[in-house]
Amino acid sequence: MKIYVCIKQVPDIDAPIRIRDGRLLLDRDRMVMNAYDASALEAALVLTEETEGDVEAVLIGPGKAGETIRKALAMGADSGTHIVADTTGYDSAAYANILSAFFTGKTYNYIACGKQAQDTDSGLTGGMVARLLNIPYVSNAVRVEGGHDGITVTRQGDTGRELIDLPVPGLFTCSNDMNEPRIPGLKGIMQSKRKPVHVLSLDDLGIDKSSIKTHTRITGYEQIPGRKPGRTFEGEPGEIARDVAALLNEETGIS
Amino acid sequence: MSTLLTYVSIQDGRIKRSSLDLLSRCSEEAEKNGHRSAALLIDESASGYASELSTFGLSKIYIVEGPRFKNRLNGPLLKAFSTVLKQVKPAVLSLDSTEESKDVLGALSASTGAPVLPDLSQFELTENGVKGKRPVMASKILSLVEAVGKPVIFSVRSKSHVQAPARTPSRADVEKIDVSVTADDMRASLREIRKAKGSGMDLSEAETIVAAGRGVRDEKGLNLIYELAGVLQAGIGASRALTESGVFDSSLQIGQTGKVVSPQLYIAVGISGAIQHVAGMTNSRIIVAINSDPSAPIFDIADYGIVGDLYKVLPPFIEEIRSFKRNTFI
Ligand SMILES: Cc1cc2nc3c(=O)[nH]c(=O)nc-3n(C[C@H](O)[C@H](O)[C@H](O)COP(=O)(O)OP(=O)(O)OC[C@H]3O[C@@H](n4cnc5c(N)ncnc54)[C@H](O)[C@@H]3O)c2cc1C
Ligand SMILES: Nc1ncnc2c1ncn2[C@@H]1O[C@H](COP(=O)(O)O)[C@@H](O)[C@H]1O
Repeated sequence: MKIYVCIKQVPDIDAPIRIRDGRLLLDRDRMVMNAYDASALEAALVLTEETEGDVEAVLIGPGKAGETIRKALAMGADSGTHIVADTTGYDSAAYANILSAFFTGKTYNYIACGKQAQDTDSGLTGGMVARLLNIPYVSNAVRVEGGHDGITVTRQGDTGRELIDLPVPGLFTCSNDMNEPRIPGLKGIMQSKRKPVHVLSLDDLGIDKSSIKTHTRITGYEQIPGRKPGRTFEGEPGEIARDVAALLNEETGIS
Repeated sequence: MSTLLTYVSIQDGRIKRSSLDLLSRCSEEAEKNGHRSAALLIDESASGYASELSTFGLSKIYIVEGPRFKNRLNGPLLKAFSTVLKQVKPAVLSLDSTEESKDVLGALSASTGAPVLPDLSQFELTENGVKGKRPVMASKILSLVEAVGKPVIFSVRSKSHVQAPARTPSRADVEKIDVSVTADDMRASLREIRKAKGSGMDLSEAETIVAAGRGVRDEKGLNLIYELAGVLQAGIGASRALTESGVFDSSLQIGQTGKVVSPQLYIAVGISGAIQHVAGMTNSRIIVAINSDPSAPIFDIADYGIVGDLYKVLPPFIEEIRSFKRNTFI
């Protein structure tokens, strides 16, 4: 069983973000593996533990993003591929086109993606890659089980869960509600240093930089208009509960 | 004159209200820009819903129906959308942001070559496409985005407090579009659907939501939540802490992984206010937080912050609200 996991390096959303001249100022030291991709990796590791197999992490990003591949290897991925590119201005379509160029001609059982990148919250790349490769897919997986020839993916839908049989080759995108990604231990970190990382350029994939099509454009950023400061109530529970209920009644006419 | 096509989503045998809100906004945009507004219904028996769209000033209602579309598997859906786009050639296709639409947006864009803007909180048509705003970085920042093309596909976050202005009913042409679903579209196959148990209220439509977090730690706390939701006729939501532990169904999770909601009133009970939770509710009109820890981050965004033990605060709170209700009926 061979599973590719697509991982993206994203800014830690807990870090403060500022905007200057319509651009984001990010703390380059606080870059992390997209949390949904960590769940995809965890799912792939569990699936291959059960069936014996091979997990390869694939990342598109600048040189510095290689540290995120190391993290994946320390978690247990067998190898990594780093497609080095300056991704400024890339949208999901650009990532998907590069990923599908990489996967074309490869043999695998499954490709696992995150359901969305935490920085853009787009949630498009997985479906795009599946379509470009003409393979079936399931999005928003909260559970996967099965083996070599096929898996059953449980998908969280709007009003319930759907259990979908996904044949080989297929693609699924993962929710973090699927699992708790393992934290790499010392042994994993030591072993990761000996695991292979293939470094590829866009050229190696036969992609001409100037031909990368982005579908959409970000023209700027704005601070979300802050909420106006609220009021805090402390004291005897009965009293403050009644005070707030009364204020709510005035403001919304809840009655 | 071009067509603005809105996908009207049918869930559990009824049209989603958020789809109707979107449809009325698109009809407005169409009117403003001298375009036609049209709707698309896809369902096992979609025709049956067409009459509910008579007050939206539509020029046309497109119907795709048949047993293949009963369960909204992405294969048949994708075929339906791409066939419709080819045939209708609209300037834009808009959808409301649901798990159903998220499931197909990327693939649809890849198979048609149409640019896609997901999860917009605001949008407007431009000369040759769409521009809009979308929350990113767990809703900490708005990004201004635009796409050029024909069509441009976009999805819109529901705003439950937008009410559709009523128009005089008019008759729109209903046109059926045949979609041939092949074995290729059915490679991923449905084994089973497990419907969520729970209140059944669609959170994206609820005017009031009572949301419970880890602070609600037992049966007694849950009963208080149900009671409060009962008097307010509210939908019940939850933080990940309580969906993960199975106390509430995952479809009730609010946040970056779960649903994004914007009710008139959001009452967060025993929820700390982690950024991933806040991402799903920060656009609520009024936020009330009940939490025993005065430094909980939820108080940073609450309009009314009650610092206290929920087990002591909720009973008098519920009683007081009930008394307001009672008085209005005298
Ligand atoms: C990728 C990713 C996505 C995520 N997506 C989501 C998401 O969609 N939705 C979501 O909710 N979370 C999400 N999370 C998890 C999130 O980070 C938090 O862990 C979660 O929201 C915490 O839930 P909580 O506030 O109920 O629990 P806690 O953080 O444990 O807070 C419990 C609160 O209850 C208060 N409390 C305790 N006892 C009482 C009492 N008696 N009376 C009053 N207050 C009391 C405490 O003071 C505390 O503030 C995500 C995390 C990741 C990594
Ligand atoms: N630069 C990247 N490198 C590898 N995988 C990516 C990259 N960008 C996106 N992906 C994959 O696509 C998923 C969805 O991304 P998005 O469409 O941007 O929300 C992510 O969770 C990853 O699995």
